[in-house]
Amino acid sequence: MAASQPFSVALQGGLDKASNALELLKTPGKATTLTNFEVSTKGGYRRINGYSQFGNGTRPNSSNDILGLKVYADGVVACSGTNIYFSQTGNSWLQINKASVSGSGDNHTAFTGRSASARTSQSKAHFAIFEGDTEYGELIITDEGSGAKPFYFKMTGTDSDITNRTFFAKEITVSGTHFPKFCVIHDKHLVVAGAATAKNTIFYSGTSDIDDFTSSGSGSIVLDDQVVGLKSFRDELFIFCRNSIYKLQNINNASTIAIVPVTKNVGCVDGKTIQEFAGDLIFLAPDGFRTVAGTARIGDVELGTISKSIQPILNSIFDSTIVQEYSSVVIRDKSQYRMYYSSSTASTASSKGIIGTLTSRGFEWSEIEGIQAPAVTSGFNASDIEKAFHGDRDGYVYNHDTGNSFNPAGSETNIHARYQSPDFDYGDFGTLKTLDHVKVSLFPEGTIEPKLKVRFDYDSADRPQPADLTINAQAPSIFGDSGTLFGTSIFGAPEQPLVRNTLIGSGHSNFFNIFSNDVKAPYTINGLYINYRPSGRQ
Amino acid sequence: MATTYLTLANEALRELNEVTLTASNFSSAVGIQAFVKEATNRALNDIANQEPQLPFFAVAASGGTDPFYGNVTVETVAGTRWYLLKAGSSSITTDYASIDWDDFYITTIGVSGESAPFVSRGLKFMSLSDWRRYRRDRENADDADTQNHGEPRYIIRSPDHRKFGLSPIPDKAYNVHFYAYAKPTELSAYDDAIALPDQYASVVLARIRYYVHQFKENIQQAAFALDDYKKGMRNMKSNLINPQPKNMTDDRIYF
Repeated sequence: MAASQPFSVALQGGLDKASNALELLKTPGKATTLTNFEVSTKGGYRRINGYSQFGNGTRPNSSNDILGLKVYADGVVACSGTNIYFSQTGNSWLQINKASVSGSGDNHTAFTGRSASARTSQSKAHFAIFEGDTEYGELIITDEGSGAKPFYFKMTGTDSDITNRTFFAKEITVSGTHFPKFCVIHDKHLVVAGAATAKNTIFYSGTSDIDDFTSSGSGSIVLDDQVVGLKSFRDELFIFCRNSIYKLQNINNASTIAIVPVTKNVGCVDGKTIQEFAGDLIFLAPDGFRTVAGTARIGDVELGTISKSIQPILNSIFDSTIVQEYSSVVIRDKSQYRMYYSSSTASTASSKGIIGTLTSRGFEWSEIEGIQAPAVTSGFNASDIEKAFHGDRDGYVYNHDTGNSFNPAGSETNIHARYQSPDFDYGDFGTLKTLDHVKVSLFPEGTIEPKLKVRFDYDSADRPQPADLTINAQAPSIFGDSGTLFGTSIFGAPEQPLVRNTLIGSGHSNFFNIFSNDVKAPYTINGLYINYRPSGRQ
Repeated sequence: MATTYLTLANEALRELNEVTLTASNFSSAVGIQAFVKEATNRALNDIANQEPQLPFFAVAASGGTDPFYGNVTVETVAGTRWYLLKAGSSSITTDYASIDWDDFYITTIGVSGESAPFVSRGLKFMSLSDWRRYRRDRENADDADTQNHGEPRYIIRSPDHRKFGLSPIPDKAYNVHFYAYAKPTELSAYDDAIALPDQYASVVLARIRYYVHQFKENIQQAAFALDDYKKGMRNMKSNLINPQPKNMTDDRIYF
């Protein structure tokens, strides 16, 4: 019998939809399908966490869409319907879009008794926090409905009981007729832009006077293009337009303040995709994800994108006649940028997203399916703990990226995760290979039972394909881990086991597909070790 | 229960670490699975070619016409020399695979209208060349003239191997009993059973492995499989063809 030969692959490189089959032979660690997996910064591909209901699942405003979320103070602010709400626990929501609030602040009783300051035609909301010298900072909210003025909210008081806090709320007048859509705090100014009546104008407030657009240091600038997003980055304000990008410099110096074009060839698809991440601004351009620092450095032509490997996915989004709604978030402890997209009528199951993880090799990508997140946020709360939330079109707010299952409307749902390798040719496409066994290197975070599918010759219909196998791995018990319990945890289980599965079948090439559709714990697939026997060149 | 086509093919596939077939996809097998199916029929033919008179290839059980143990009976016609070995067979492709030419028996027992004393004797095989040299001309002359014919004493084989001839040409009806072996039926459906007892399925399997390892260019494994096959054939032949006590036979009584 021909001597068996080893072949090992460390999984890295993320999803690659752009390379052809032969190119992928050279990069076996990449994935041709990577859905509901994320590229782990520790190496390998990790099945994503699920999401759980925030608190007991009480909705801020019935079944009205969640239009925006922002981590604020020790809770989260949610925009829904024509209102804005705040909650610490998710069990109850305090409406904060109140009118006639005292300039010196209202106590809880007075505040809740105020009439609503309706957010007419409220649509996707944008937030800016001016940290200032208050406990939680001052929150500015604009929305893309452009039917209401920017809204100002501030809460003071550190008592954990919200009824013992003081509330400030008001609308900010930028101009009597302009209701800007986008807002950002930049160098002691509130900058707003994108009003339906002045799409190409940015307005900036007075210096350290964010609620006054007439005081010293305030002004406005008219651009060539329509603004779709704003982002303060280092000492400059980046202004994302539909077909161009500008930066505002020297906002505090009336004599040198200037708008400098960064590029007039590349615009931003949607301001909701802009995030500051890993020292750059990342945004979705019409030709893929780009970073602003890279754009600025390279110039205005031949801009390098960071998402070439998933370009076909982005093309399908752009080419679709369906209007997508975008949202994005940064999961800092995972070095992740996530963009969610779905149409306004898409079901939760069909809603999708893209995860970009920054690794030592650059951005590596994967997909999400089954999370409807038209609004998503992450940030550090008053206790400096990073929190992430998302909201859906049924009005629910969820703890984002947590747990072992999806929980739309509180209904536990499987996470259908799928990883598929490129076809492996083991160095010679012409030789028939009979597979002996595979050892899957895993890091289970609990008891898991993913399935292993092997398909030969690009899943050729001319070749019988073997049945799926189950990969069984026990949860490791790690000393000191809070989840390691005497009498429950299995001691002696390896932390990163190599699970061996005997294989059958032969072909000139084959791919591996590891998938799970359950509510079991996440797991990381580190790599594959395959033993095979060359079996001629028939 | 005899080993089926599917069982045998899957045993071979499992041994080769290949995906096995099922009843539902058996008929549409492709690739190595289809090759194993083909190799199975080829292996059965190899066994039949090497030892066509293995008992499980017999066309029928012996002793069908007791007390005679032949499994085929042909009734002669007065004045007719040549008879098809397999009645109704249209060509050599459908004839019997092998005939025990040393075991033809002629009798009037059981022939309509015959009564004791009966003719009952073995027929001696005579080669065609001997028959042509010593008996043909005389028998043909008799047949064309007086047509006395006679009681057959010799059995001869037609040059195309499809008929047996009697010498002399029969003068009346006799029953000729002989032993014939069939060609192995080509396996087709997944539940077709092989002719061999399960005990000897490994011989077929060894031959299949021989072919498949050749297909996979694994010469060493093919050589091992061939060795297994040869050993299996030796054992099968020893067990099934020559199981009787060893003794010497002097058949000069026939001369």
